[in-house]
Amino acid sequence: MGMINQLPKVLDPIPGGKMVVNAVDYLVNWARSNSLWPLVYGTSCCAIEMMATGAAKHDIARFGAEVFRASPRQADVIILAGTLTEKMSKHLEVLYDQMPEPKYVVAMGACTISGGPFYYDNYSVIKGADRIIPVDVFIPGCPPRPEALLYGIMELQKLIRGESIRNPRKPGEVESEPWVNRHQEAVAEWEKEQEAVEEEIAPQRAQWKEDNPDFKAFKHPKKPVEDLEKMEYVPREKRVGAEPFALWNIVHEKFPEVTLHGIEEVTEEALAEKGAEYIPDFVVGTEQYSAFVRFLREHADTDCDYIIQVTAVDFVDRYDVCVHLMSTTKKHKIFVRCSIDHDDPKIDTISHIYLGANWHEREVYDFFGITFNNHPDMRRIFLFDEFDAHPLRKDFDDPSRLTKRPY
Amino acid sequence: MDLVSAQVPAGFPETHPNELTEEFYLNMGPQHPATHGVLRLVVKLDGETVKGVVPHLGYIHRSIEKMAESETYVQNIHLTDRLDYLSCHMNNLCLCMAVEKGANIGVPERGEYIRIMICELQRLQSHLLWWATFGMDLGALTAFLYGFDQREQITDIFEDVCGARLTMNYFRPGGSYCDVPDTFIPRVKAVLEGMEKSLDEYADLVGGNMIIQERCQGIGVLTKEKAISYGCSGPVARAAGVDYDVRRDDPYGIYDRFDFDVPLGKNGDCYDRYTVRIEEMRQSMRILEQCIKEMPSEGPYRSKIKTVIKIPEGHSYANVETARGLFGTYIVSDNKPKPYRLKYRSPNFSNVNIIDEVAKGFKVADLVTVLATLDPVIPDIDR
Amino acid sequence: MSFFGTIWDGVGEMFDAIFNGDWSKENQIGATVRGWCGENETLADWINAGISLATLAAIASLSAMVLVYFERKVSGHMQRRLGPMRTGPHGIFQTLADGIKLFFKEGFRPKSADFFTYYLAPFIPMMGSFMILAVIPFDQHLQVANPELGIIYVAAVAGLAGFGLIIGAWGSNNKYSLLSGMRSGAQMISYEVSLLLAILLIVLVSGHTNLQEIIKTQEGGIFNWWIFKLPVLGLISFVFFIITTNAELNRTPFDLSEAESELGAGFHTEYSGICFSMFFLAEYVNMLIAASLATTLFLGGWHAPHPGLDYPGLGWLWFGAKTSCIIFLYFWFRWTFPRLRIDQMMDFEWRFLLPASMVSLLLAGVFMSMGWYIGD
Repeated sequence: MGMINQLPKVLDPIPGGKMVVNAVDYLVNWARSNSLWPLVYGTSCCAIEMMATGAAKHDIARFGAEVFRASPRQADVIILAGTLTEKMSKHLEVLYDQMPEPKYVVAMGACTISGGPFYYDNYSVIKGADRIIPVDVFIPGCPPRPEALLYGIMELQKLIRGESIRNPRKPGEVESEPWVNRHQEAVAEWEKEQEAVEEEIAPQRAQWKEDNPDFKAFKHPKKPVEDLEKMEYVPREKRVGAEPFALWNIVHEKFPEVTLHGIEEVTEEALAEKGAEYIPDFVVGTEQYSAFVRFLREHADTDCDYIIQVTAVDFVDRYDVCVHLMSTTKKHKIFVRCSIDHDDPKIDTISHIYLGANWHEREVYDFFGITFNNHPDMRRIFLFDEFDAHPLRKDFDDPSRLTKRPY
Repeated sequence: MDLVSAQVPAGFPETHPNELTEEFYLNMGPQHPATHGVLRLVVKLDGETVKGVVPHLGYIHRSIEKMAESETYVQNIHLTDRLDYLSCHMNNLCLCMAVEKGANIGVPERGEYIRIMICELQRLQSHLLWWATFGMDLGALTAFLYGFDQREQITDIFEDVCGARLTMNYFRPGGSYCDVPDTFIPRVKAVLEGMEKSLDEYADLVGGNMIIQERCQGIGVLTKEKAISYGCSGPVARAAGVDYDVRRDDPYGIYDRFDFDVPLGKNGDCYDRYTVRIEEMRQSMRILEQCIKEMPSEGPYRSKIKTVIKIPEGHSYANVETARGLFGTYIVSDNKPKPYRLKYRSPNFSNVNIIDEVAKGFKVADLVTVLATLDPVIPDIDR
Repeated sequence: MSFFGTIWDGVGEMFDAIFNGDWSKENQIGATVRGWCGENETLADWINAGISLATLAAIASLSAMVLVYFERKVSGHMQRRLGPMRTGPHGIFQTLADGIKLFFKEGFRPKSADFFTYYLAPFIPMMGSFMILAVIPFDQHLQVANPELGIIYVAAVAGLAGFGLIIGAWGSNNKYSLLSGMRSGAQMISYEVSLLLAILLIVLVSGHTNLQEIIKTQEGGIFNWWIFKLPVLGLISFVFFIITTNAELNRTPFDLSEAESELGAGFHTEYSGICFSMFFLAEYVNMLIAASLATTLFLGGWHAPHPGLDYPGLGWLWFGAKTSCIIFLYFWFRWTFPRLRIDQMMDFEWRFLLPASMVSLLLAGVFMSMGWYIGD
């Protein structure tokens, strides 16, 4: 509010005016700190802990902050609960701009502090929310406990109570270099601090050692660990559905070119050797691929009516498109594998056979750049259109986004 | 006010202007109370009637599958927590099972019992949270608080067991990383006792309410054929009549030892999804009771495994039934400590795919109901 | 008489009453002021008018604050938690803090919103509730204006509040707001019919449109209140009244216009700061008004449950107690029920509530002509 900022100018010259300004300061800060209405904003795991904070056991309502507003126009504080990705960050900026002043930002969880567990080898997560919007309070934890969130709210209240009309709060600075590696700086700082502490307590430690010469550190008694051979395991020999060899026979009759992955000569013994958990993994050529999947779906004995997933693997010299099918009636699973050219990755779609394959194929397109012929809606599904690479390819490298794991 | 923008949003077929009515596009999300996170739906509306829904994903795409390739198998377990954080024990279990299959690691009996109990507790917890948010989405705010209150008791057990409230990271290939404390069984008993009393009351409070019944019955109908073709799983598919539960039909661990029913719906509408989930909670409690009776009190909780696990060249696949459906892990390995490729099959990815199919023709409010009964966890979709 | 004619007459009458009428003549405060001013009657009238308007403003803002606080406390205790605790003992200053914060919050208008309608909208519901508050009979002599067509005036002005929502929703230039505005428009119009029929029933049986006169027909103990005086029918009519007012107030299960899980914040999605708090305030003042009307029409107004307890000058205590009970009922509904869908809500009104109210009105006529009353 512009008007209140003029208050000191008007009142300060008047005798007693300063006191009035101070009183107004106190009152406004008291009101603001006790009425923090958060925005409904949660992206991932931390949102659940935020909800738990709002629930009966921890009860954020005690601080008057249970009024979660769905509209940013009425919110005072935005609790960044959860990982912030590059695609979401644009929307977060808009949300922040839509909030009226004074607005506060609480970064909840490790992801919003530095990217947290998603720091290394990650192409989509923003490494710290303060690279997008200014943050007032950071709450560490993955996710922070509800008590920690309440403590964070209390810290924010302290911060607000320190404000004044004469000296208005300046929101924190946004990290100007968006992809700077803060980790090394933090480590160096931490080591420096530790050294100082060590130096400080060194004499005390020496003294203590002198006083207690017989002291031995407590060690947990070692539990005896049974040998691998002696232990009894729960057997894992359950086969559901049809025998792989029977499936092979059905398929082989119609498609003689089809082979089984990893088995040179298919016999009943060779398949039995693979164990009860073996799932037949048929290798099929690109021309037959679509027809083969249709056959598996429509044949009465295979009856693969259910699609588990469509995925791909980058083997550097080729891509393997893997289709995992299952039969809800016969209970068996069948994998189909189709190798395609690495330079010009194209394959027929199966989204007309399984409606669910639509999104799976879009995902494969997004991650590997494999185009599916005749697919009804071949767009990126997870990444934004400006992202000009296919990240799950083995040769993917984007120094502006990726921080390589040093170990 | 220009409601009808000239540009048709991505994913919609080109429309032909109609003289009688003007259709417009409404953007729900990524920040919207009903989308359970950062799902974005672009809805084509005619008045209040939904004419089409196009979901946009990826607002919480965290590249977990890329990261997996540079972390060892055990390091990868903590990333599965963050996929579907409401059934993180099951996710952990699925990765562990895939590793066990690939590297041929056995699990001792007590370890299996611990796994089953923890997983079923997690299912209870997840369904309680769903119940809470379902109430909230339909406007019954008090249900939210009751559901969370009950859920906290189970969260306390998890805290007791592994020290974390949400992202547990508890299971390891060959068992779990520590034994359950002595207080575990009494606490589970106490929770079951409390749940038995309150579950009926809760189911009555929301499911017995006339308004809820009116708003759910006949809404968002999913047929069995569509459910199978889209690859739906879990309560969503079972409410549509798909008689498939991984625990029963492809039993992992020691699920074949227990006696439990798989509840099925008849109509595939929102109310069936509600009742199936409530009934699943009862079945979970049944499994837990059997576990308490049969669990050996002595014995190793995990097998001895090598510090560095290597899976011989090839692939291994395992799937489990999480609270939301069929969760699968597909490992392609090249005999190195880190996976060559790790693919998670998430149940929500397929479950949300049907939203256009089931919400079309209903009202905006029904879209919210449908979304609430699908119970999506967005980070699981986006991975 | 046309709709606006009724309002205009009512407003005229109200101002007439404020300046020359009931307050200054019958009220103790008014009499005292007149005593001070002596001969100068014009001055006395002006002072009296000022006092009464100030009282109205105080009642409106104070009651809204208290109601918001109680709503949060009641909901908290219903949900196994405490509610606000940190501002003052048991958080009693919580709404004060909210109010001050909202007052000093930046208020801005979206670029594409329409200036005139955007800023006009928040005042309309507020103005409507102030205008109704002037005729609420808190006690025998504690009423700012007592127009002869009191109840009709109330019904006419209550219809105004809905305009504010629609105008605001349209002016915000937001699709969520628009949907919400359309919903609330449809809702207000349809439920007003049943509300009026419930009111008409009381007018029919009591034979008065003046609020004080209606209260006076309920003199003489609990069984002379219209809710019990008309056997069964009174109770049914009371339930209808509560349901329809609940819908008019946009509260669960009829809170479709601000359905949080569907439309974000509904018609006030684009409003911030003081404009938003106006909507907020009006909502709670309207709740007070609805509860007071229920008290006036069905629960004997400022009469005590037993004639022996009717002390002159303490009627407002009874009035307040009854009103509080009704308000608690509204709270209870809100925190128990889920939300209806728009078509179900319309179905409920046009297929059930309206015919049922008409039948009850008809029956009331029969009851009256046959003299089937309980009590005196």
